[in-house]
Amino acid sequence: MFEFFFEHSPAVFRKGEFILLGSWPIWILIVLIFAAGGILALRLRRTAAAAAPGVTMRRAAGIWALDTAVVAVLLLMLWHPAIRIAALKPQQNIIAVVVDDSRSMGIQEGSATRLEQAAGLLGSGLLDDLQNRFQVRLYRLGTELERIQSLEDLSASDHATHIGAALDQIVAESASLPIGAVVLVSDGADNTGGLPPETIAALRSRRLPVHTIGVGRPQFDHDVEITDVQTPDRALAGSRLTAQVTLRQRGFDGRKARLTVRSEGRVLATREVELAEGGKPQVETLLFHAGSPGAKRLEISAGPLEGEENPGNNTLARLVNIVDAHPRILYMEGEPRWEFKFIRRAIDEDPTVELVSILRTTQNKIYRQGIHTPEELKEGFPGRVDEMFSYDGLIIGSVEAAYFTPVQQELIREFVDRRGGGLLFLGGRASLADGGYGASALAEVLPVRLPSSKQTFHRDRAGVRLTPAGRDSMITRLVDDAEANARRWEELPQLADYQEVGPPKPGATVLAELIAPGGRELPLLVTQHYGRGRVALFATGGSWRWQMTQPLEDKTHEIFWQQLLRWLVTGAPGRVSLSVPRQMLFDEERVRLTATVRDTAYAPVADARVSARILGPNGLQAAVELAPDPARIGIYETEWTVPGQGSYIAEVTAYRAGKEAGRGVVTFERMDGVAENFHAEQNRELLERLASATGGSYYTPETAARLSDEISFSEAGVTVRETKDLWNMPILFLLLLALKSGEWYLRRKWGVV
Amino acid sequence: MRVRIVALAGLTLALLGAVYGQQRRRLFILEDEFVPLPPDADEKTEFVFARLRYPTFGRGYWGWRGAWTVDYPKADRQFLQGLRRLTRIHARSMEEVVDLDSDRIFDYPWIYAVEVGHWDLDDRQAARLREYLLRGGFLMTDDFHGTFEWDVFLASMQRVFPDRPIVELENADPIFHVLYDLDERFQVPGIRYFYTGRTYEQDGIEPRWRGIYDDQGRLMVAICHNMDLGDAWEWADLPQYPERWASLAYRIGINYIIYAMTH
Repeated sequence: MFEFFFEHSPAVFRKGEFILLGSWPIWILIVLIFAAGGILALRLRRTAAAAAPGVTMRRAAGIWALDTAVVAVLLLMLWHPAIRIAALKPQQNIIAVVVDDSRSMGIQEGSATRLEQAAGLLGSGLLDDLQNRFQVRLYRLGTELERIQSLEDLSASDHATHIGAALDQIVAESASLPIGAVVLVSDGADNTGGLPPETIAALRSRRLPVHTIGVGRPQFDHDVEITDVQTPDRALAGSRLTAQVTLRQRGFDGRKARLTVRSEGRVLATREVELAEGGKPQVETLLFHAGSPGAKRLEISAGPLEGEENPGNNTLARLVNIVDAHPRILYMEGEPRWEFKFIRRAIDEDPTVELVSILRTTQNKIYRQGIHTPEELKEGFPGRVDEMFSYDGLIIGSVEAAYFTPVQQELIREFVDRRGGGLLFLGGRASLADGGYGASALAEVLPVRLPSSKQTFHRDRAGVRLTPAGRDSMITRLVDDAEANARRWEELPQLADYQEVGPPKPGATVLAELIAPGGRELPLLVTQHYGRGRVALFATGGSWRWQMTQPLEDKTHEIFWQQLLRWLVTGAPGRVSLSVPRQMLFDEERVRLTATVRDTAYAPVADARVSARILGPNGLQAAVELAPDPARIGIYETEWTVPGQGSYIAEVTAYRAGKEAGRGVVTFERMDGVAENFHAEQNRELLERLASATGGSYYTPETAARLSDEISFSEAGVTVRETKDLWNMPILFLLLLALKSGEWYLRRKWGVV
Repeated sequence: MRVRIVALAGLTLALLGAVYGQQRRRLFILEDEFVPLPPDADEKTEFVFARLRYPTFGRGYWGWRGAWTVDYPKADRQFLQGLRRLTRIHARSMEEVVDLDSDRIFDYPWIYAVEVGHWDLDDRQAARLREYLLRGGFLMTDDFHGTFEWDVFLASMQRVFPDRPIVELENADPIFHVLYDLDERFQVPGIRYFYTGRTYEQDGIEPRWRGIYDDQGRLMVAICHNMDLGDAWEWADLPQYPERWASLAYRIGINYIIYAMTH
């Protein structure tokens, strides 16, 4: 229909360049259109005034506009409009037809599999059409791109789909071959997490269009899929962990599914959840105990429910490295107070975290606790970077900002930003706004804005309530069940005091609110990331009442403080750390090991020698050297080929001047044949995006017949510039007819003859 | 006649009410002299000097004038002046009287009990005190002397902790070093010294610093036996009372409080 009116296919208009072939310049066309409009206006004024004196200006203007439009269209046709477009030269170009041959193409869709649909589509004329005009190269796509001779070589057996890598290979081939276009027949279920921008950029720079034909249903009828699980890479032994599970379902609206976290077959946490509306991502949090030190493999599963079409996407695995570290936290307190005592007692019961404290007992004396040597902190709060950075966390109690010298304030900021330490601010009569922190260098680090007024600390009782974010936080989890936990917080004894703070800064999370006298709600527990470290604020000095006014058996106070302080220091990196982009490698053979090396002042080190020792399954041992990244000081990297499935542990050691500067450990696991179970619905969005970004088009099996005509228009390969006339489009003649008819009708109706 | 009796009773009640109102929370007990109420007595503070009211042996709370009231309230308030001046503790200028029959005691993690050689805790009170101490509360006892009063003290304390020993505090214990180094300690006598010329009372010749520890080695109960720190606080402003006794009494009290707020 479109071509009946416009003479050419939509692709011609989309890809071509509009031009006017008339020999006279375009400005004459514009002048003539304006002149015609003026003459017609004068004529209409004279004739209409005589013939129909009562005609309104509005009606006269309508008739004038139609008249002028007719003249403008006629003049435009005289200037010879046309479209110039690049087209592939027949028989001189190659069309790369890439067919997805991964396992997800074997999914049954009605009476045929996706692959059978794709092969049927290509074999029923489309491939012949292309072959009549171009050379066609057929490829199968899986983890790699492989050329095949016929559609019969396809088997839907590859265990992953790497679309980006395949396109990279075609781009490379196009350097020596006249590849004019790519046809990708796929369900779009890529296992690498998307299309690399550099691949898209390479296709665009070669002007190589990728036409995509999507096969497979955009969604299953009945399925529950775990799309992602977020767990920390590292945790302290004995601490509580969270697994944030993202799941999505089709066809099970309102049904319940059981989420479970297992390790070595043992259930660590389980919970029944009500499934959200179909297709919408749903995030649920499970809490469990980290247990003893070592690499722990977690299996997180949902369901499966009866009638699921794809039960293979109900379980995901993650690795967590449980470390036997004993981070040290320095607590600076400006006055003896009960909160200090009871925090100390709570942490005394935690074998993981060490609390070192400085307490100002009198104006000129300090009292130190938890020190390792008589010399430690002898001069008071650290003033040197190596002394300060030897701690993993810092608590600032009721001590005014001015107690710290400007150098110490900057040191505290650097402690969080550069060292990656955790910093906790407590409420108190010399804390926060009352302590002058709003005007100090530490204001930047705080997760909230502070009121400009003083007297924000009140020795009045205040209740506590969790926010929605606090309900999912492992810091505030006192009992396993989320609802019971929220109720538990509301039933806690009131705090002995509270401090007003301003609104949270962007990026900060309020986990708990306090309910001040009069029902006013204020932030109580707020967390945020700052630089490499973490910051928290607890706007009270009165949580000790949770300990003193509840039965001895109640461990609320101890659990809360242990969890808060563990969270504070869990992320604090050592001087040498090792990381991988992903700990679970699904069908990936290469892993990038990245080590960060810093000196005692946590400044990046450029002159270290860094080597890694890798232990794998079946007694595998390997040693690799990491090379410094010239663009990033202190970063050392290498790529290593993972020889097979299984769990691996890599330990990196950095040396400076022949001496060991530190060690870091990371664990990872390679799993093959699992990835194709996930994201198995047709990823139409990815296919459309790929086509649109490269100048191609997306087709369904129903519209794919158009491909053979439209594929010619490409600027890649061997092309010829074609010019296609537009003046003879039927739509223009129909337009002229419609304009004149409209004018005639209106003149008759309004009596303007 | 009846009208006169009623009027007299009303007048008496009004007079008592006026005195109580003037004193506000101060209990109407005539110890040694009238102590004016500090102007900031109602200030909300971190630390409150909580004096334990307990039943006297065989006579209840008020028997024998109420043994728990000895030196009250002047000793408390005069000691608090020193505590406020010498430390950074935000302390209230007026004491608070608490007892083991009310939950209010759990809002005061430090309590002071005097003349515990006359106390008589029943089983319920003993259990409450045990719970209080194990949750993190701290008890300082003072001003009891000799074998007889020790035995009375012990009778109640063993109901509190039947299985925990009372031990002599070592000089190295942090409680003697948390602020002041108190290796050199001596007997601090009460005001009775001026009548008897003796620094001890009854057969309590040797001063004893004893205590009860929890399972983590933290002191829960600090027992000052054969000394009268309360009197030293109370009479610190008496020119005749030796400065060295008052000074040691203040230092011990301050150390005990700071210890209780740090351990």
